[in-house]
Amino acid sequence: MDVKAVPKKLGLKEKYRHLTRGLGWEPSYQTREALFPYAGYEGIRIHDWDRWEDPFRLTMDAYWKYQAEKERKFYAVIDAHAQNNGHLNITDARYLSALKIFLQAISPGEYAAHRGFARVGREFPGVGTQVACQMQAIDEIRHAQTQIHALSNYNRYYHGFHAFADARDRIWYTSVARSFFDDAMSAGPFEFMIAIGFSFEYVLTNLLFVPFMSGAAYNGDMATVTFGFSAQSDEARHMTLGLECIKFMLEQDPANVPIVQRWFDKWFWRGFRVLGLVSTMMDYMLPKRVMSWREAWEIYGVENGGALFADLARYGIRPPAGWEDAGKAIDHMSHQFMLGLYQWSFGTSFHSWIPSEEEMDWLAEKYPTTFERWYRPRWDHLRKLAAAGTPFKNFGLAKLCQCCQLPVVFTEPDDPTLSCHRELEYKQEKYHFCSDHCLRIFEDEAEKYVQAWLPMPQLFQAPLNGDVGAWMAWVGLKDGLDNGDFAGSPDQRNFEQWRRNATRNHREGEAQ
Amino acid sequence: MSVTARKPYIGVPRDSVANFNGRQIVYVSWDHHLLFASPFLICIEPQASFRELLQGPIAALIQADPDAAAIDWSMVEWLKSNRPWTPDPARSLSDNGIGHKDQIRFRTRGHNSLLPEASGTS
Amino acid sequence: MQIDLRTVTIEPVHQTFDHLARRFGDKPASRYQEGSYDLQAAENLHYRPTWDPDQALYDTGITRIVMADWHALKDPRQFYYNTYTVTRARQQDATEANFSFVESRGLVALLPPQLRTLALDLLVPLRHAAWGANQNNAFMCGYGYGVTFTQPCMYHAMDLLGIAQYLSRIGLLLGDTAALDAGKRAWMASPVWQPLRRYVEDSMAVRDPFELFVAQNVALDGLLYPLVYQRIVDDELASRGGSAVAMLTQFMSDWYEESSRWVDAVLKVAAAESGRNREVLAQWLDAWTRRAAAALLPVVAQALGPAADEIVAEQLAALAARTAKAGVAA
Ligand SMILES: [Fe+2]
Ligand SMILES: [Fe+2]
Ligand SMILES: [Zn+2]
Repeated sequence: MDVKAVPKKLGLKEKYRHLTRGLGWEPSYQTREALFPYAGYEGIRIHDWDRWEDPFRLTMDAYWKYQAEKERKFYAVIDAHAQNNGHLNITDARYLSALKIFLQAISPGEYAAHRGFARVGREFPGVGTQVACQMQAIDEIRHAQTQIHALSNYNRYYHGFHAFADARDRIWYTSVARSFFDDAMSAGPFEFMIAIGFSFEYVLTNLLFVPFMSGAAYNGDMATVTFGFSAQSDEARHMTLGLECIKFMLEQDPANVPIVQRWFDKWFWRGFRVLGLVSTMMDYMLPKRVMSWREAWEIYGVENGGALFADLARYGIRPPAGWEDAGKAIDHMSHQFMLGLYQWSFGTSFHSWIPSEEEMDWLAEKYPTTFERWYRPRWDHLRKLAAAGTPFKNFGLAKLCQCCQLPVVFTEPDDPTLSCHRELEYKQEKYHFCSDHCLRIFEDEAEKYVQAWLPMPQLFQAPLNGDVGAWMAWVGLKDGLDNGDFAGSPDQRNFEQWRRNATRNHREGEAQ
Repeated sequence: MSVTARKPYIGVPRDSVANFNGRQIVYVSWDHHLLFASPFLICIEPQASFRELLQGPIAALIQADPDAAAIDWSMVEWLKSNRPWTPDPARSLSDNGIGHKDQIRFRTRGHNSLLPEASGTS
Repeated sequence: MQIDLRTVTIEPVHQTFDHLARRFGDKPASRYQEGSYDLQAAENLHYRPTWDPDQALYDTGITRIVMADWHALKDPRQFYYNTYTVTRARQQDATEANFSFVESRGLVALLPPQLRTLALDLLVPLRHAAWGANQNNAFMCGYGYGVTFTQPCMYHAMDLLGIAQYLSRIGLLLGDTAALDAGKRAWMASPVWQPLRRYVEDSMAVRDPFELFVAQNVALDGLLYPLVYQRIVDDELASRGGSAVAMLTQFMSDWYEESSRWVDAVLKVAAAESGRNREVLAQWLDAWTRRAAAALLPVVAQALGPAADEIVAEQLAALAARTAKAGVAA
C-alpha cells in the first residue's frame, strides 16, 4: 500500500463523505435485493443514492459529545425539580390533563418512531440516508425516555399517569395516535419517511411542540419545558431530514411525484387529525393560555405551510387534498373535541371540565364567528345540568372513524349544525368515517384499514363483552381517581392542599 | 386501489358481526342535536323490535337534550345510510333492514334549544 | 408571590408506574427500568406490515428463539440513552486525547514503514466490516422484540458506526484518502478479505434477529475483536514499536470488553430459558463461528504469518469457553 508522507487536509464536507458514504460497498456475494429487500416494492425509483445530500454532517464522536452535554443539563434540571417539589409551581392541577394525554399518546409515539427509524435505517440502500435515519432512531428513544423521566415525578403525586403503558394499547383515545404510528410502520420505508419524517416532523411538529412547550412555560411546568427545550436541536435535525427526503424522492424520478403526492395527501390528513387534540389543550386545558389554536394555526399552519407548498410546487406537488377542509375546521375543532372529552370523561384517564364564564369570554373573543353562535349554548346547558346535580355523562359511547379512529365529533365542513356522516360498504361490511379525506384514505388501501382495532366496538367483544367495570380494570383506569370532572377530583384537592401548606409554611418561616 | 405490498395483502376485519355474541352494532344520530358529541354506538340484538331500540337505549341516551321530551315520534323523519327511510316500529331491526354497523339518523322539526339557528330545519 | 416549596412534605400517591410495579413491586423504579420495560406496543397492533403481511408489526415469531418474557434479556450495563451517551462522550474525550497525542508528537512519522503498512492493510478494510455490523445491529433493534433487548442493539449499532469512523480516521492519519481507497479495493477484491466480506454480506441477508445477534455479535465480533485488537495490535504491533497504533484503537478494546458483558448476558438468559433455545443457539453458534474463524484466518495471516492458524485456534477455544460459560455448548 502506498503511503504518502504528508496527508492532505480534508474539508469538513469531504471528510464527512469519507466517514460515511465511503463505508458502503456494492455487494457481490448477495444481490442488492437480498440485502435491501424492502427498497423497491413501493414503486419509488432511485437512480443514484449518491445524490442524497446529507442534511447534517454529524459523526458519532460529535454526536456523543453534543448529546451528552444536553443530557447532563436535562437531568440536573429535572432532579432539582423533583427535589424542590417543582410540581407545585404549576398554575393549577387542570394543567396536568395535557401532560397525561401527552404521556399516554405521544411518548409511545416517540418510541414507535425510534423503532421505525431503526428499520428504515437498515432498509434504505444508501449510507447517507441510513446514517441520518439511525441517528434519528437513537434520538427518538431519547425523547421517549426524557419524557417518561420528566413526568415520572408527576406520577408520584397525581393520578392519570400511572397506567400509561396499559393505556397505550387499550384505552380508546390513544388508538388515534397508536394507529397513526402503526400505519406508518406497516408502510414501506419511503412512505414511512413521508409519514413521520416529512408530514409529522416537518409539516406538523411545530404545531405540537411550540404550543406545548410555551404552554408549559406559561403554566410553570419546568420539567416539560426542559425536555422540550432539550429536544429542540434534535427536532431541527429531524425536520431537515424529512425535507431532504421528500426532495430527494421528487428529484430522482418524475414517476415518483404522483406516489409522493398521494402519501402527502394521506399523511397530512392523518397528522392533522392526531394533532387536532392540541387545539383542545391550547383553547381549554391550559389554565394560563398562550395563544388560541386559531392563532397558532395562522403562524405554524398557514404561514409555514404556505411557504413549503410554494417551495414544492416546482416539483409538481400541490397542497395536500385536505388543506382547505382543515382550514374550515380550525374555528370549530377545539370546541368539538372538548365537548366530547367532557361528556365521556368517565372513560378518560385525565380530567375535563366546563370552562368558566371568564374562559368562555376569552373563547368568544378568539373565535368571534363561531363560539357564541354555536358552542356557548351547549356549555351553558352543561353547566346548568352540573349545577342541578345531574352532570351530563354520555353513556352512548361514540362512533369512531375507521381511519383516524377519532370519535366523529366533526360537523360538515360547511354546516356546523350537522354531524359529518360518511360511510361505505366494502366486502359486505359497513365502515364509517369522520370526513371525505379519511374515507378516501380507506378507499385507497381498504385491505389495510379493515384491520383497524377500534376500541369502542371492541368493548362489546371478547374478553370484555360490554362489561364497563372490567374494561376499566383492563385499561388501568381507577374510577373516581383518574377520570371524570376536574371539579371535586383528588388531583384538585391535593394540589390545593399542598399549595396552601407550602404558602403557610413559607409565611411561618418568614415570621420567625 | 389495492394495497401496495410485497406479498398478497388481505386484511381481516376486526368488527365482523360474528364477534358480537349474537348482537350487532347500530349507530344512531339525531340531526342538528350536537349536545351529543358524536353519533351513538349501541350494541343490541337484531331480533329486538325497532320500538324497543327507540324506547330503550335511544330514549335513555337523548334525555339530556332539552328538546328530547317534546319529540313527537310519529312525526320524526328517518334516514338509513343517509337516505330517507321509513321504519316499522313493531318489526325487528333485521326485518327493518338494519344490519350490523348500519347508521340510522332522525330529524325533528320545531324549536332547537341548543342550536337555535337550526330550528325548523330538517 | 414567591413561595418556598421545599418546606412541604408530601406523601406520594404512587411509588411508580403500574407496569413497573407489576414487574418489580410497588416501589420507586430506576431510570433504566422506566426507560426500558414495556415501552413497545404489545397488543392490538392495528395493521399487518405491507413489507411482509405474514408478520405482525412486532413479532416474536420471526426468530426461532422463544422467550416467555422478552424483557428478561436485560442489559447488565443498564444503559438508557443518558448513561449511554454520557459514557461514550467520556470515552470519546479519551480517544480524542489519544489521537491528538499521536498527532502532536509526530508519532506516525516515527512508525516503522512496514508497521504502518501492516496497520493500514489490517485496519482500513475493517471499517467496512464495522459498517456491516452497524446495519446488522440496526436490524436487530428494528425487528427484535422487547425494549431491553432491542435498545442496546441500537446503541451497539451507533458504536459500530463510531468504530467505522475511528478506523477511517486512522486510515486518514496513517495514510491519506488514498489509504481509504486502497482499503476499499482490498475489501472488494483482495483474496485476503473476500471470505470476511462474504460472511458480512451473508449475515446481512439473515432476517432472524436473534440468529443475526449470534452471527454478528457473538461469533464474528467475538473472534474479530480479540484477534485484531488484542493479538495483533496490542500484542504484535506494540511489541514491534507500534504502540501508537494501539493508542488509536484503545476505544475498540475497551468497548469490546464492556459490550461483551451485554452480549454474554443476553446469550445466557436466552439459553437458560429452554433446552430448545440452547439447541438452536448451539447450532447457530457452531455454524457461524466456524465460518467466522475461516473468514478471519487470512486476515490474521496477513499480519502474523504462519502463526495465524494457532492463534485463531486459540481464540476459537477462548470463544467456546466464553459461550460455554453462558450456557451454550457449540
Ligand atoms: Fe421525537
Ligand atoms: Fe423527532
Ligand atoms: Zn377520520
